[in-house]
Amino acid sequence: MIVRPVQITDLPALFTLVRQAVPGLTSLPADEERLANRIRWAQRTFAGQVDRADADYLFVLEDDEQQVMGVSALTGGVGLREPWYNYRVGLTVSASVDLGIQRQIPTLFLSNELTGQSEICSLYLRPDQRQGSNGRLLSLGRLLFVAEFTQLFGNRIIAELRGSADERGGSPFWDSLGRHFFKMEFSHADHLSGQGNRSFIAELMPRQPLYTCLLTEQAQAVIGKAHPNTEPALKILSAEGFAHKGYIDIFDGGPVIEAPVSAIRTVRDSRPLSLAIGSPDEKAPLWLIHNRRLENCRITCAPARQVGNSLVVDRLTAKRLQLQPGDSVRAVPLLDQRQQAVAA
Amino acid sequence: MLVLRPVELADLPQLQRLARESLVGVTSLPDDSERLREKILDSCASFEKDVEAHGAENYFFVLEDLTTRHLAGCSEILATAGYNEPFYSLRNRHFTSASRELNIEHGVPALSLCHDLSGHTLLRGFHIDAAQVRSAHSELLSRARLLFVAAHARRFSDTVITEIVGYSSDEGHSPFWDAVGKHFFDLPYIEAERLCGLQNRSFLAELMPQYPIYVPMLPQAAQDCIGSIHPDGQEAFDILEREGFETNSYIDLFDGGPTLFARTSGIRSITHSQCGVTQPGLVIDARGRFLVSNDSLKDYRAIVADLDYIPGQPVTLDTAMCEALKVTEGSPIRLVAL
Repeated sequence: MIVRPVQITDLPALFTLVRQAVPGLTSLPADEERLANRIRWAQRTFAGQVDRADADYLFVLEDDEQQVMGVSALTGGVGLREPWYNYRVGLTVSASVDLGIQRQIPTLFLSNELTGQSEICSLYLRPDQRQGSNGRLLSLGRLLFVAEFTQLFGNRIIAELRGSADERGGSPFWDSLGRHFFKMEFSHADHLSGQGNRSFIAELMPRQPLYTCLLTEQAQAVIGKAHPNTEPALKILSAEGFAHKGYIDIFDGGPVIEAPVSAIRTVRDSRPLSLAIGSPDEKAPLWLIHNRRLENCRITCAPARQVGNSLVVDRLTAKRLQLQPGDSVRAVPLLDQRQQAVAA
Repeated sequence: MLVLRPVELADLPQLQRLARESLVGVTSLPDDSERLREKILDSCASFEKDVEAHGAENYFFVLEDLTTRHLAGCSEILATAGYNEPFYSLRNRHFTSASRELNIEHGVPALSLCHDLSGHTLLRGFHIDAAQVRSAHSELLSRARLLFVAAHARRFSDTVITEIVGYSSDEGHSPFWDAVGKHFFDLPYIEAERLCGLQNRSFLAELMPQYPIYVPMLPQAAQDCIGSIHPDGQEAFDILEREGFETNSYIDLFDGGPTLFARTSGIRSITHSQCGVTQPGLVIDARGRFLVSNDSLKDYRAIVADLDYIPGQPVTLDTAMCEALKVTEGSPIRLVAL
């Protein structure tokens, strides 16, 4: 398996994949023409032809038979064209010393705080491929890419996790808040949002802070709560150092998790090494390896052994990376030492 | 005969009875003798005071049965709302949510804390015995204040407001309070209203929500309370509405009750009142019922009287009326049709 930039020839395969994923994956359009546009735009991004504000790095996961098995994306910086909104869950204290009253009221503050940060999004892996290290490769490959090209990204990487839904698939948070300002179902707003109308929708939201005690109990209960479907993604990113710092999605109340780029394990622990071909034994740990190219980026996951400044991999791995012995790679153990101890 | 007059210190025990019977939302009538005593003294000083411009004065009136000395009701005029302590209300205003791109535009009503009603003259503290509800004396108790304003315009603003008690259940629950105030005050409605009557109101500033409250986010029962009137507050509302008062976009921050507003120039009892002079005599052919006041300040009196009134002519008042109004031949009086 490799992670590589999307190509226009991936369109049919990607379209099939996206249709499988809907409605969980709104940031990829289930519309062939718009998907084609996004692919072309990603190609221009990888070619270094667009500003960071517009950069959209779209990757695919491909097996050795050139079958597309998954997709994931990374943006240059959010909110650098249209405003990017989140709520920050803050606190208002209502207190009277004379009366001995102290009320602490969580309050939602509309914020553009995350402007300029880079977002990882649009991850979808074919259900029959959800095994082994595929999920990690597809997700963490993006972070290794950031490690190699830090100048193309913000200081922090963010991920918006889908918010908790009720049994009908509706959003209690939306029903208690957004609905009053849009008078439409969440699914419709979500659809508009996926079509790129996100900031238009946000602009209909109230600008003033909102006391959470005025939301329904159901809505209060899902503030910052991720949808159970996002658990695998959350687990992987938490281990990388991502955490919820109080920002939530303004539509469904789902958490925004974030990490400073320099503190992300994959970034921090990754190192440039010289590729060597050999036979790492079967117990060699798995490494995430990037060929350090932008437009011809290849990232894979393989057993490898570090010997001095060299990373010893087998011949197939080098072939997947389109590299020769002696070429430079950026690599990081797929799991950190603590995780490896657990895995062992 | 029932006469309206300024309160006196000797009225305290009866005043406390009235305060106890009054609606919990009438916060200017706390069931607390010390507080009421202060209010009486404050009112006496206000009637005595030589006023250049309206300030903190509070004019407190009682309705007394001259035969039994029973007090049947009370009412007040605060010369300037918000003069000594902030006067808070909630402004109910539409925020427009619009997106040209999405072709969406609609208004969302939101309640915001404000001091907008500061500076107006405030009618308050209206309470009358159940036996007198919807009687001519109810009209007297409310509207004699307006005749007082007409006679002493310099002492008041040219705009007058009043807050009508909002809906609460017989058990003392206010759905509006439960959905809004309770979150911030951590107190039951009754306790909050009680504190409001007793305490320095600075606690309101400390506890009240500073950000707008979007009406559609409130439970329906609370939304229904916005601008709604407590059944026992309906009469106070009706009397002033007939006087030309109108509701506006301001509501009470505790119970959501409406505010009424009028310019003095548009208040019926002020603009339609007639000045005349007293002619003691027998009222033979009483063809109309009037509210009559003596235009005095600290000896202010007002009654309900059936009169044979001809505009421009001296007004014939019988002995009982003259005594009640403390007038003699030639004394100026003011009257308006009931």
